[in-house]
Amino acid sequence: MKMKKWLTPAFLFAVLLLGVAEIGARLFFAQDISGRFDYGYSPDAGFDERRDGLVQLFRAGGRRFHPQSFQRQRPPGTFRVMVIGDSVPRGPSFKEAYPFLLGTELQHHAVKAEAVNLALPGYGARRCQVVLRKALEFEPSLIVLHVNDSNKYEDEREFRRSQEFKTWHPRNWPMKVFIFRRLYEAKVEKVFWRLVPDQIRLKFAAKDADAQVAANPDPEEVRARVRLARETTRENAALARARGVPLLLITQCRLINDGPQAFHFEDHGLDALGRSLAGEGVYHLSMKEVFSSLLDPRSYFSDSGHLKPSGHLLMAQAIVRKMQEAYQQLGLTALKPEAKDGGG
Amino acid sequence: MSFITWQYLLFLPLVLLLYWRLPGRGRLLLLLAASYVFYACWDVRFLALVMATTAIDFLCALSIEGKRPGAARVLLLALLPALWLLSCSFFLPAAGINLLIVAVAAALGLAFFAGHELIWLLAREKRSRAFLILSIGFCLGILGFFKYCGFFLDSARTMLEFLGMQPNKVLLNIILPVGISFYTFQSLGYVIDVYRGQSPACPSLLTFATFDAFFPQMVAGPIERGRHLIPQLQQTAAFRPDYLHDGLRLIIVGFFKKVFVADNCALLANYVFDPQTPLNGYWACLGVVAFAFQIYGDFSGYTDIARGSAKLFGIDLVQNFRFPYFAKNPSDFWGRWHISLSTWFRDYLYIPLGGNRGANWETIRNLAVTMLLAGLWHGANWIFVLWGAYHGLLLILYRVVPGLRSLGDETSASSYRGALAMALMWVFILVGWAIFRSPNLHQLGIWLAALGHWHTGLSLPWASSSLWLLLHAAPLILLQLLTWKYRDETSLRHLSWPARGLVYALMLLLIVSSTEHDTEFIYFQF
Repeated sequence: MKMKKWLTPAFLFAVLLLGVAEIGARLFFAQDISGRFDYGYSPDAGFDERRDGLVQLFRAGGRRFHPQSFQRQRPPGTFRVMVIGDSVPRGPSFKEAYPFLLGTELQHHAVKAEAVNLALPGYGARRCQVVLRKALEFEPSLIVLHVNDSNKYEDEREFRRSQEFKTWHPRNWPMKVFIFRRLYEAKVEKVFWRLVPDQIRLKFAAKDADAQVAANPDPEEVRARVRLARETTRENAALARARGVPLLLITQCRLINDGPQAFHFEDHGLDALGRSLAGEGVYHLSMKEVFSSLLDPRSYFSDSGHLKPSGHLLMAQAIVRKMQEAYQQLGLTALKPEAKDGGG
Repeated sequence: MSFITWQYLLFLPLVLLLYWRLPGRGRLLLLLAASYVFYACWDVRFLALVMATTAIDFLCALSIEGKRPGAARVLLLALLPALWLLSCSFFLPAAGINLLIVAVAAALGLAFFAGHELIWLLAREKRSRAFLILSIGFCLGILGFFKYCGFFLDSARTMLEFLGMQPNKVLLNIILPVGISFYTFQSLGYVIDVYRGQSPACPSLLTFATFDAFFPQMVAGPIERGRHLIPQLQQTAAFRPDYLHDGLRLIIVGFFKKVFVADNCALLANYVFDPQTPLNGYWACLGVVAFAFQIYGDFSGYTDIARGSAKLFGIDLVQNFRFPYFAKNPSDFWGRWHISLSTWFRDYLYIPLGGNRGANWETIRNLAVTMLLAGLWHGANWIFVLWGAYHGLLLILYRVVPGLRSLGDETSASSYRGALAMALMWVFILVGWAIFRSPNLHQLGIWLAALGHWHTGLSLPWASSSLWLLLHAAPLILLQLLTWKYRDETSLRHLSWPARGLVYALMLLLIVSSTEHDTEFIYFQF
């Protein structure tokens, strides 16, 4: 009787509505949210391994994979390329990104190829390693690892958040409710990111991840990122070698505009790293080398680091050329370069 | 400690549970301790200012009533801020209090003590006025030093430089204590009321200190009157369930206004009033409308949380907002916006200046002085003075221009004319917000110039951002329409309980969906 006075029908109804919504969310979005609070450090988030052997990639746990599916066991005779990296290889869209275009190019060369895009926006070396470990379970013929050094801050922040989230801290309590986190994610990713221009978001959204990254142009921070990328990439190469899976390292470059007609490329030392790791099943392709020989490389970049579809096509073709150089090691006789005409 | 923190969401229930389990005096002690902890979470040093204001106004009010406190008591209270700073310097070395600051506080305490004792030597008929002046002098002195000293020194230096002189550079890096304008005005209002005989002097230091520092409304209002709040603090009533219902309803509405409406609208307003933003007419309008919703959601949201928190203790705080954007004229607007401040200025400045009792020019002068000072109250910046002047001008124009006067007349029977009056006033309010939000006159000039060109130029596309604004303003407008019937922004009484439950659930979802963008309340800086 006393409790009845404390709780109004409106309050009880609100609790009931939220309760029903929570149960609904748990039923309908459980898979979608799995690994959400590992912030990219969950090994399995985004991989749905079904009983029939099909693996489906879906958006979950902070991993915004392009939806794709493949068999857990590589089909006989299929050359499976898995591309791991950040927003650059993820591309402007699935079909415009170089992993997809690489598959198409290989098919043009009569290779029965299967290209899987495992790139995720904002993923730095540490989280890419988690994806790499998972990818190695799916019998890849080649792993393409796009090495960038700009997401180290996010990697660290997300790691701390994942650790923090495991604590009892009260600030995490509301977000442990499924409907709250679902609505929060929908708002941030579907409403906020689409309606508010990047320029506003990056500058004024105090807690926006991109804004935090953009606010850290400190040279020491950049050096620390390079160091971390270097160490983790070495580990990644060792990991692939240990499993006997060929690894192609693509080192990122940045296009820096020096004026209306002038520009230069910066690689933050990643090219030297790639070169130093090449050999024994590890290959290296420099983005800087791919684009610096062009007349107007700026037309291939959408900003200093991301590529337009034409740039992705160029990257896919460059990867194929690189694979042609190592066709024997990769077991791809179809890629054997045609003997050059002597010109006689 | 801000309301929009998890700390507050734990702090409030804890204090509440203890409060209703304690007897009368224990409750006051708890509220005072909780209020000081609440304030010390910002800056432990500035509690000394709260204590100083409390001591000065408590003693002066008693003396105005002719009740002489013992000299030892006066001395102890006058030195209380210095003692607090001294203990902080020993026990909290990280607070950075050195002995010079303690010495200054002690010297000021002794000066007050000397002044207080000297006034008692005056003839009886002169004492009350002298104690009032002592209280006003010390309180406004503290406020003036911490809030306006740097501003006036800076302005004087700029003026001397403009006149071709090379003044010595005086550098003062004074931190503005949070909420100083609010608790100073609340405390001063009490002393003036006692002087006028409108309120009895509070005999209990504990009660008065709690009144001065009551944590729900201490840092951003509403500015309470002693005769309204002190009797409620003295009550020893038992808990009633409607305290919980009303309090939680107000808190939810407040969080919704602040977290969902204000913080999301702030993104666009901050962009538009940033010096590096290339503006055109669309963005200038979008930005100022966004700011109108931001400041309203922010400040009225704060007030609702404050009122809700107080209600949980069985205490009613005054209503500070009543659909301000539905005002039909400037006077109507100030009767709806920050009501506790506008009535403070009306009662303690405008009416003592003569109000509208004298000739027309005297009324105009009184309006101008009041609004200039109201502008300055908001911040030590010429932009706030300009904002006050602008609103003063609006009040004067609506008084002297017959067409405007009749249009803004609230008793206008024609709904068409009423809507027109509301729309015109909304435009005037928006221009006022553009002044208020501009960081300086140069930026205001840029905003005004942008209204003259509507080509896209370097500006970002504005349509999607308009949709963002609409998504966040529309629920607030809807809520206002739902509550319009009862003339109370937070009343949902006329809705059926299922509708109320639905509204609560939706508001809770919208609040949580925006929790990442936590920002401080705008009015904390005042």
